[in-house]
Amino acid sequence: MSGILVYALHYDGAFNKNSLGAVSEGARLAGELGTECHAIVVGEGVSDDLAGQLGNYGATKVFRVNGPEGLAQPVVDAMAKVATDNGHDYLLFGGGLLGFEIGAGLAARLDAGVVMEVTEVEARDGKLVAKRPILKDSQVSDVHYRSKVGVIIGRLNAFEVKESGSAAAAVEDVDVEFQPHSLKATMVNRGEQRGGDVNIEDANVLVAGGRGLGKKEGFEQLEELARALGGAVAATRAVVDAGWFPYAGQIGQTGKTVAPKLYLAAGISGAIQHKVGMQSSENIVAINKDSNAPIFEFSDLGIVGDLNKIVPKLTEAVKAKKGS
Amino acid sequence: MAAPSEYPPPVDSAAEFIGPPTDPEDERIEVGVAIVGGGQAGLACAIRLLQLLEGDPELTEQLGEVPVAVVEKGKVAGAHQLSGAVMNPGPIRELFPDDDAWPSYGPVEGETVYFMLNGKRAVPLKPTPPPFRNHGNVVVSLAELNRWLAEKAEEAGAYLLTETAATKLLVEDGVVRGIRTGDKGRDKDGGEKSNFEPGSDVVAQATVLAEGCWGHLTGAALKGLGLAAQDPQVWALGVKEVWEVEQPFRKVVHTLGWPLRPGAKYKEFGGSWIYGMNREGDKPKVSIGFVVGLDHTDARLSVHDVLQEFKHHPLVRKILAGGKRVAWGAKAIPEGGYWAMPKLHAPGLVLCGDAGGMVNVPRLKGIHYAIRSGMLAAETIYGQLKAGSTDFSSYEEAVHDSEIGKDLWESRNMKQPFGRGLVVGGAITNAMVVTKGRFPGGHWATHRDADSPVTLSDRDKRYPKPDGKYTFDKLSGVFLTGNATRDDAPSHIRIEKRVPREVAEAWAWMCPAAVYEIPEDAPRSGQVDLIVNPSNCVQCGAITAKGGRLTPPEGGDGPMYQIT
Repeated sequence: MSGILVYALHYDGAFNKNSLGAVSEGARLAGELGTECHAIVVGEGVSDDLAGQLGNYGATKVFRVNGPEGLAQPVVDAMAKVATDNGHDYLLFGGGLLGFEIGAGLAARLDAGVVMEVTEVEARDGKLVAKRPILKDSQVSDVHYRSKVGVIIGRLNAFEVKESGSAAAAVEDVDVEFQPHSLKATMVNRGEQRGGDVNIEDANVLVAGGRGLGKKEGFEQLEELARALGGAVAATRAVVDAGWFPYAGQIGQTGKTVAPKLYLAAGISGAIQHKVGMQSSENIVAINKDSNAPIFEFSDLGIVGDLNKIVPKLTEAVKAKKGS
Repeated sequence: MAAPSEYPPPVDSAAEFIGPPTDPEDERIEVGVAIVGGGQAGLACAIRLLQLLEGDPELTEQLGEVPVAVVEKGKVAGAHQLSGAVMNPGPIRELFPDDDAWPSYGPVEGETVYFMLNGKRAVPLKPTPPPFRNHGNVVVSLAELNRWLAEKAEEAGAYLLTETAATKLLVEDGVVRGIRTGDKGRDKDGGEKSNFEPGSDVVAQATVLAEGCWGHLTGAALKGLGLAAQDPQVWALGVKEVWEVEQPFRKVVHTLGWPLRPGAKYKEFGGSWIYGMNREGDKPKVSIGFVVGLDHTDARLSVHDVLQEFKHHPLVRKILAGGKRVAWGAKAIPEGGYWAMPKLHAPGLVLCGDAGGMVNVPRLKGIHYAIRSGMLAAETIYGQLKAGSTDFSSYEEAVHDSEIGKDLWESRNMKQPFGRGLVVGGAITNAMVVTKGRFPGGHWATHRDADSPVTLSDRDKRYPKPDGKYTFDKLSGVFLTGNATRDDAPSHIRIEKRVPREVAEAWAWMCPAAVYEIPEDAPRSGQVDLIVNPSNCVQCGAITAKGGRLTPPEGGDGPMYQIT
């Protein structure tokens, strides 16, 4: 049979948002192609419960492989075997460095075409077409696959998480014989690459602060608002540079790329270097006292005013609404 | 009133950037000739040297495993290269007598010089003043030309060390012995990150400084090796955009006047260029740039914003109509001319191109001098190394005997008369070109750019608000250069951060890349504390002219110019 195989990365008993987005997208595409979306999980002691959860996002079957977690080469072996045995036409990844590495490995192993940084996938004439921004995101190119198998690697958080299925997926165990070189690398230590404890890439709500906060203490009110909204706090390069906020929370060209449901920008002018890190957010709300600030050109809601007055009132209002 | 030079940067370049090799002898990288800078001067030098060495296995052998190495701090050759490039093709044709495939946009088809009376009107100057005549010259993209030259140099056998900064000039017993490359992977405070790689001593039998308009080691050598000229070097800053347009534009246009002010007290010396870049199969492009001398006295003069203002002139609007900006960049230009040319050699060392101050200011030309001087340096180095000597003094004679020395002598008092304002200055310099420099004659002295006292004005009110389509802010330009410098690298900009407001504003407005910022709550007058954003820097060099000191960033950082 044919179909789409999606890699789902899990850690600490949960799938990351990016992977859930990829499974949701795989399910949507499989529906359009009239085929099935399968997922694959590699790890030690993955429970039926955890693997089966992917059914909620539209996976009809989950392949479970017992093997080292979070390393690329074992996953390449596992996916190569599963895809070959089951005849999957497309291998889909949510993105991230691990996805890039596995996808590249599979492309080499299976002689498959590979496209990375994909922001959209379309079913056209029974085949998938990957859309990929090029030339610094100024143009989008459509990429068609000529190879038997196509590898699609999404841009981080490009695919929306959608619960489409209702039942747990069937879990099928697969024995994979890992290549000797695949077991050479071992996980020594897991740490946040940029050293912080703020997980801004997975947050649905981000409250971001810029130099308009005036001083480091300005972040306290943002933290309070983020708590009220159930979100996290992020920052611009300028304030990270000034030492007001850790680098782990930096959004933009030289920081992280995020796409939360709500991005609230407080005291951020919105230079393009910042914009490229948050422009795919679903709703952008900006508070800035300068009505000429570029951020107002790409925000859904703009408030010209003093954030020191607006943010505390907003926090109160959110708390009041949630309390009721 | 304060002058930026009253607040010198915390640096002693001769002591800090010149010294003996420090790596143990068996760990040094040995090359024959070390060339600093993969621009047209350095690459022409490499290519010419390898042409000469091709017929000389004996000297090639003596130069070792790596006869010619080119050290380039950009990601690729040309990455930091920018010019309003209407090139005199003489020297490149001599360098490649059998190969005319170097990338160009064809010969100049026509030209006009306009005097811009104001934001609406312009009058053509007829006949075209002699310095602006471009017949026989060719439009190129310097970044593109450099990439091509780098390929040719590698084909000929040069080793190109890209993403490598030359941070120290190695000098032992009064002889230049090579350079030291920069460390990589340091954090903001200079500490070693997990990916730290120390630099290396690259020792050479001859060293060529072809660093371009602002030379890190050139600056140190001028001080430490006593190469400085009679006059200080002075600079202009050019900011450039490339546009894709609907209708090909076939002329070369230069303008004088508006938005600059003609009065002598402003010392606003400069103008613009506009020319088409048309190539079969490509969308037609237009290169547009504005250049202003950095000795101006208005703290709020921003060349980037002057260019945006300039684009509002109907003459310019017509050319750019319906177009789209595809590139942006900035670069300083040495404008000191003849009297500011340093001594071009020291034992084991030569200076080429812009590093040697070789720009013809009235003709706005320097690319062909860079290529010529690179070739001449190669010929001297070849001859002297063959004779077992590191005395390269005959190179300087060769430069002065070539068209470089001749042209620069004839235009020796070019920029100085503009101290009397545009109209008087323009008349004097036209007469100068016609009389081949006999008029005004003598030696008109210059002063350092940073010695000009600066004052606050309301000029900034004239700058158009960027609309993101036709006029742009500085940071969108920086973004377009492909600059994505690591934020936690040590700052490569040495500058005094506590300065009077007018000096801080002069730097903030001048810098085309928004490197310098003044905190919003800083006092309106008196001392302020400058914020420096070194990762925005596009390596234009203006700050070195105006009282700071640029050093090379970590190799590979900075812009990635493609068609500038």
